[in-house]
Amino acid sequence: MPHPQRTVNETWDFVKPGLDCILGANNDVGITAIMYMSCYTAIYNHCTDKIQGNSYMGGKAGARNLGTDVNNNSYILPGAELYNKLNQYLVKFLEELPRDSYHSLLEFYVRKWTRYTIGARYLNNVFEYMNKNWVNKERSDGRREVYDVNTLCLIKWKEEMFKPNEEALINELMDLIEKQRNNEIVDTSLISAAVKSLVFLGIDPQDLKKTNLMVYVRSFEQKFLEQTKIYYQNESNQFLAKNNVIDYMIKCETRLSEEISRSNNYLEDHTKKHLSDALHKVLIEDHSQEIYNEFIQLIERNETVHIQRMYKLLVKVPRGLEPLADSLENYIKDQADQRLKQLKADSESGADELIKRGGANTVDTKVYVHTLIDIYNKYREVVSNAFNNDVKFIKALDNACRHYVNKNVIASPNPKVACKSPEILARYADIFLKKSSKDLDILDMNADNLMIVFKYLNDKDLFESFYRRQLAIRLITDTSKSEELEASLLQRLKDENSSEYTAKMSKMFSDMKASEDLRVGLRDAGAVKDFNPLILAQSMWPFNHNPDYDLTVAPILQDQFNQVVEKYGTKHNGRQLTWLWNHGRAELRANVTKKNSKYPYFTFFVTNTQLMILMAFNEKNSYTFKELHEIVGTPSKIFEAQLQPFISYKLFEQVPEGEENLNKEDTKFTIVEDYKSKRQKVSFISAVKITGTKQEEDDTAKEVDEARRNFLSACIVRIMKSRKTIQHSDLINEVLPQTANRFQAKVIDVKKVIDHLIEKLYIERIENNSYRYLS
Amino acid sequence: MSEPKVIMVSSDEERFKVDQVVAEKSVTIKNMIRDLNPDGLTEDFEVPVSTIRANVLSKVLEWCEHHKTTVFPDEDDEDAKKTAPIEEWDRTFFRVDQEMLYEIILAANFLNITPLRDSGCKIVAEMIRGKSPEELRKVFNITNDFTAEEEAAIRRENEWAEDR
Repeated sequence: MPHPQRTVNETWDFVKPGLDCILGANNDVGITAIMYMSCYTAIYNHCTDKIQGNSYMGGKAGARNLGTDVNNNSYILPGAELYNKLNQYLVKFLEELPRDSYHSLLEFYVRKWTRYTIGARYLNNVFEYMNKNWVNKERSDGRREVYDVNTLCLIKWKEEMFKPNEEALINELMDLIEKQRNNEIVDTSLISAAVKSLVFLGIDPQDLKKTNLMVYVRSFEQKFLEQTKIYYQNESNQFLAKNNVIDYMIKCETRLSEEISRSNNYLEDHTKKHLSDALHKVLIEDHSQEIYNEFIQLIERNETVHIQRMYKLLVKVPRGLEPLADSLENYIKDQADQRLKQLKADSESGADELIKRGGANTVDTKVYVHTLIDIYNKYREVVSNAFNNDVKFIKALDNACRHYVNKNVIASPNPKVACKSPEILARYADIFLKKSSKDLDILDMNADNLMIVFKYLNDKDLFESFYRRQLAIRLITDTSKSEELEASLLQRLKDENSSEYTAKMSKMFSDMKASEDLRVGLRDAGAVKDFNPLILAQSMWPFNHNPDYDLTVAPILQDQFNQVVEKYGTKHNGRQLTWLWNHGRAELRANVTKKNSKYPYFTFFVTNTQLMILMAFNEKNSYTFKELHEIVGTPSKIFEAQLQPFISYKLFEQVPEGEENLNKEDTKFTIVEDYKSKRQKVSFISAVKITGTKQEEDDTAKEVDEARRNFLSACIVRIMKSRKTIQHSDLINEVLPQTANRFQAKVIDVKKVIDHLIEKLYIERIENNSYRYLS
Repeated sequence: MSEPKVIMVSSDEERFKVDQVVAEKSVTIKNMIRDLNPDGLTEDFEVPVSTIRANVLSKVLEWCEHHKTTVFPDEDDEDAKKTAPIEEWDRTFFRVDQEMLYEIILAANFLNITPLRDSGCKIVAEMIRGKSPEELRKVFNITNDFTAEEEAAIRRENEWAEDR
């Protein structure tokens, strides 16, 4: 390949016009293919020429150099001279770039930069041979200040163009950005091109392939963030001085979305997080107090949209939501407090018939429960619509609900007495589960409502106790609306709490089933068709044997009762049956009419004791008090109460008359021969004066107390068994959470149980305020 | 309309019309086409290659045509480049006289067609491998201009490299 031999200066003079064209000097006339190729060729020739001249490896000259020319001066290697020429050329080129006809420095900078970088890429290709054969070698020899031609161009730009103009340039850039923020129309391509150039100027001399953001961050980002903060600090202060918080929040939204789209236009990802942090700080966090102050008004006016706005702003700020959640919690508590106070006042004044229905001075069960739910639903909706179901707000709602459900003027007017909510809620359930309730009255009463309130009850064990008592009555008197409904509610309680929680009630249902089986068996054995004995497991059912109601079964019925005991005894050997005479009832057909009477016979509903009294009159028509009492055998107080309705309803004639004579030994009772009544069916049950409702309430309280003590004992023993020794405070801290889904244990209760366990030698006190388990 | 072609013009003014993909086997030509036609070729494009004679350029373009779809190992992967054996087609391609061989290598160097240059260099390396200085002088037509002392000194210096 022949080519003319040239000196560096000759080569340079040859290529310079081409380089001018490539970089766009001389009115940017462009470069032809011939010029491009001759420049490439000249540079190629220069580099290869020198290789042949200086380090020709064939023959004698090269061989002689091997041992001696260790002091190889790289400056004279092919390429170095050319490289230096190019370096000087670029400096001069940049110095002489004409600045006229541009409005601003920024505009000049960006236009020139755009053209220059295109040229730099061309130059890099034209000098490719030098890049590959000289620059690469120099760099691999460790000369990190030698760069490929494209990088050299950028570095020269940085030194000769960017550095001298940096301050003025960045200021113009900031001004432009501010103008854009002021909604003036600006050429955003100027901003993005200038910013992009700073990224390209971030050159790492050690590794040219790795770009860094040094120049961008130091020269631009820091100032940009600083300016952003100041700008929005001023704006937000001025805006809030003249406008309300709602308008301010809308303004914030607009500003934030503007800044996001702007940052997508010309910012590096590196800045985005810093920018949004800065914006959130000055726009939201710095004004969070003003925003919080608006919250109560918004929720009072039910302005969900604005509350949501508030949420979406504050969620961006660290710990921005906590004060809001606290406000919500307190607000709900206040609202609940007010509504329940109002409800109580209304019912006391009797202003509302419906509310009064529950009885004088008591709030109707349904109204009370539905008020609780109404408050819950209202704020549940706020949490879901405005707060995006954020856990912080769900928790606030839960806390508030737990508070007002367990502590309010209606359920707990006296802090020393247990809260009435569990009892009222159990009654609520009873109303809609009872057969006798009218459909219209219980239309909106259901298990869903029940479960909402149940979830928030502290004393769930109390609820269980009341609920179970009423369930028992429904079961044994067959007054339940639907077996299915009962079962599904039981299942829900079990799912919400635990199977342990509903164990007793489940047992009650299976007792009912077993009793049904037994009854079928008895009928097959020829028992009276309507005899319906129930076998109820003791301690599961809320019933205790009451000796006050003991009686002597009439001889004619004796067989029936014996059959039950026998039949059950063969099935379950060793189990003891006790008759609960105070429960259960009987239905009799009474022939106490004369012919031509209105009804051929009467149907009487009576208690078991009353049944035995009436059975006696099958034998003869008249008894003295003493005789009758001996036949029936029930202790006198109850006996008198059971006897009384027959006198009042005029089935018996009493001689001598008068209440004070009822229990005289010789007072005589005679059954009438022609009974008169407006109805054919007569119940003597409800007329019995019952003493002992108070007793039952006390029983419930006692039972619950005992269950709590047992639960705590079991808890403590379980913990002690696994830990062996434990500090007092640790023990308390472990026990309390375990009781949470049953009741709210107090420390003093736990202490009492601990003392009891020490007495019983389950645990002992050791030094350091600790306990040890005694196995 | 058919695709625009690249017309390569040799030092002796002969014109070679080739597909763009063939011409772009040369990184030099490829860069140039891209630089001067940032939006792609719209018409035939003439490239003066004033350092290469027609007979050599024709050989180089023959190689480019044959390898227009070949994928070569990564440029930076020195090991892969070194260990890759000479293709049988290339071996046949290089059955030319020594001067032509060198001119092809130089042209490949100028045009920046690395695989062609590497292939040619491997052919030359094979010519050198396993030969004595005398044989090499004969093969490459080199006159021995060392004096006896000089030769002895060089042998001493390079003793470490002797096969023993």
